[in-house]
Amino acid sequence: GSIGDPSALGPMHDQMYNLQMLEAAYYRLPQPKDSERPRPYTPRNPAITPQTFPQTQAPIVNNPLFWERLGSDAYGTETLFFAFYYQQNSYQQYLAAKELKKQSWRYHRKFNTWFQRHKEPKIATDEYEQGAYVYFDFQTPKDESQEGGWVQRIKNEFTFEYSYLEDELAV
Amino acid sequence: SGSTDFRKRVSTLFKNWYQVCEVSGANETACSEYVLHLYQTGLLKGDDTTESFFRILLELSVAHCISSEEISSGAVQSPQQAQSPSFLIIDIFAKLVFSILKYFPEQESSSKFFLLSEIMAVTVRSIQKDAEDKKASLSPRPYFRLFINWLLDLCSLDPVTDGANFQVPFANAFHALQPLKIPAFSFAWLELVSHRSFLPKLLTVNGQKGWPYVQRLLVDLLQFLEPFLRNAELGGPVHILYKGTLRVLLVLLHDFPEFLCDYHFTFCDVIPSSCVQMRNIILSSFPRNMRLPDPSTPNLKIDLLPEIVEAPCILSEVDAALKANQMKNDVEEYLTSRQHDTTFLSELKLKLLVSSSEASSAGTRYNVPLINSLVLYTGMQAIQQLQQAGETGAQNVVALHMFKYLSVELDTEGRYLFLNAIANQLRYPNNHTHYFSFIMLYLFLESDQVVIQEQITRVLLERLIVNRPHPWGLLITFIELIKNPRYGFWKHGFIRCAPEIEKLFESVARSCGCLKP
Repeated sequence: GSIGDPSALGPMHDQMYNLQMLEAAYYRLPQPKDSERPRPYTPRNPAITPQTFPQTQAPIVNNPLFWERLGSDAYGTETLFFAFYYQQNSYQQYLAAKELKKQSWRYHRKFNTWFQRHKEPKIATDEYEQGAYVYFDFQTPKDESQEGGWVQRIKNEFTFEYSYLEDELAV
Repeated sequence: SGSTDFRKRVSTLFKNWYQVCEVSGANETACSEYVLHLYQTGLLKGDDTTESFFRILLELSVAHCISSEEISSGAVQSPQQAQSPSFLIIDIFAKLVFSILKYFPEQESSSKFFLLSEIMAVTVRSIQKDAEDKKASLSPRPYFRLFINWLLDLCSLDPVTDGANFQVPFANAFHALQPLKIPAFSFAWLELVSHRSFLPKLLTVNGQKGWPYVQRLLVDLLQFLEPFLRNAELGGPVHILYKGTLRVLLVLLHDFPEFLCDYHFTFCDVIPSSCVQMRNIILSSFPRNMRLPDPSTPNLKIDLLPEIVEAPCILSEVDAALKANQMKNDVEEYLTSRQHDTTFLSELKLKLLVSSSEASSAGTRYNVPLINSLVLYTGMQAIQQLQQAGETGAQNVVALHMFKYLSVELDTEGRYLFLNAIANQLRYPNNHTHYFSFIMLYLFLESDQVVIQEQITRVLLERLIVNRPHPWGLLITFIELIKNPRYGFWKHGFIRCAPEIEKLFESVARSCGCLKP
């Protein structure tokens, strides 16, 4: 009993009062998202879904092997892009980026876009390389006339300056 | 006047901070410049001005949060549908406090902790006042959010050297905000106390220095729950708080069994005797490196287990209640006298009672912590004397006399509490478990009154018919009682007083690996 002095806490309330206050607090319960950082793209908005739906996140999502498997087919690559663009500052974003790098995708820091060599570059210097690239267009269309985003496209004659290459994340 | 001017000044400073966060994205340079400015204008000196500064900031951000809630919601809703208030300004305020501590001038780092304690104290006083003013309409969520921010952020500050220091001011603040003081904050409080950035850190960082703080917070929680649990008043909200408490205890049992183990005595003092399962969780904890032999192993000789001669680690002050009631010296004198002093014993019996006014509020005529203290202290002294006597065969008869006397002379209620105090020591293999298992069986055997044997059976059985976990020593003692023919257990009428009781004994006997003879 060396820490603190209970008498310094002042008078206590009676049992009836405590129960009333507890009942009041029951209607102001802290919600799960109160203790989470604001997440701009996927806030946890609780919705009532059937009990038979999974009620918790499947642990597989946090397993690096799962992300490796996703990287092994074309549809899976789309999932990696989804995780990358929609799960900010999360372990999933980290794992997705790691797997994309493994699949020879390179991140361009200025365009926030992933590029992959379509052919061997025509020119390669110490500062840049130039040639045909596949890139993932994550933008949504601005109007009707413009083509929809969220697809892989090819860009010929693109110059990838190495100063924009993200190279901190080790694979 | 001066105070409104100051309030305006604080409000302007806060707006500037908001801009630092929004415009510059709270980059390091802008934040540290802002903090340095606050420091240079003398707002962070830790005096009355500092106090008003943080109090006003807190009031402004809480008011913003609550008004956002009022706009977004209408009538009273169920907890599931409740609209979310905006935590924007609360988060900005939390970030300011974090930045102040992060960018506080290097040479002043000692006053940094003083400042953190100051901020905690201001926050606690504001919440206390808000709770006093608003009573049932207190909004716990802005404060909850604020503490969450702080717990997450401050733990990222140099966790190796500062980790423990940051947890302690929080532990003190949470103690001051405990449910008995602010019942309307109870649920948020339990979430904070059991938070992954708080509880496990306080228990692991810096050896065991944080343990007494965690112990105190758990006692705060159990004391609040005690009258509800004692009267089995488990209405919705109480039931939720109870379930939350059980979860926290299970996490502790799994991750920090030594913590529960070393303070079991303290927790048993504040858990009502009706809470069998909650107490079993605590009494089932045992040191991680230990392997317990299966209690149903045939011919298990507990005397031969190497651990059975070791004393358990007890961090609670076992003799505290004896000292508080000025009884320690008398008990010690009695135990060393080696004489059968019946005057002492008859006085002792009366001293275990409390005044009638205390009895009505405590729900029992007995001083339970005093009984617990007397039983364990006597047992510990007796074990020590037995060890000193070694092989000379000297029995500690006075302790046996005391236990026998109390089992015979106490009334039903007193005896029940007394036997519970003994059963609380039936835990993992150690010399207390061994000694008290012997005492329990001795009292059963030596008794010439059926009511005593019936109560011993009751105390053991009611701890075994609840769901798991069950303490090892409890199982060992019960199995010995029903297996060893010298106790004549199956001859007793009370085990056949009703068909369901009789069936129960048979099923318990089966699950313990022995059959009714």
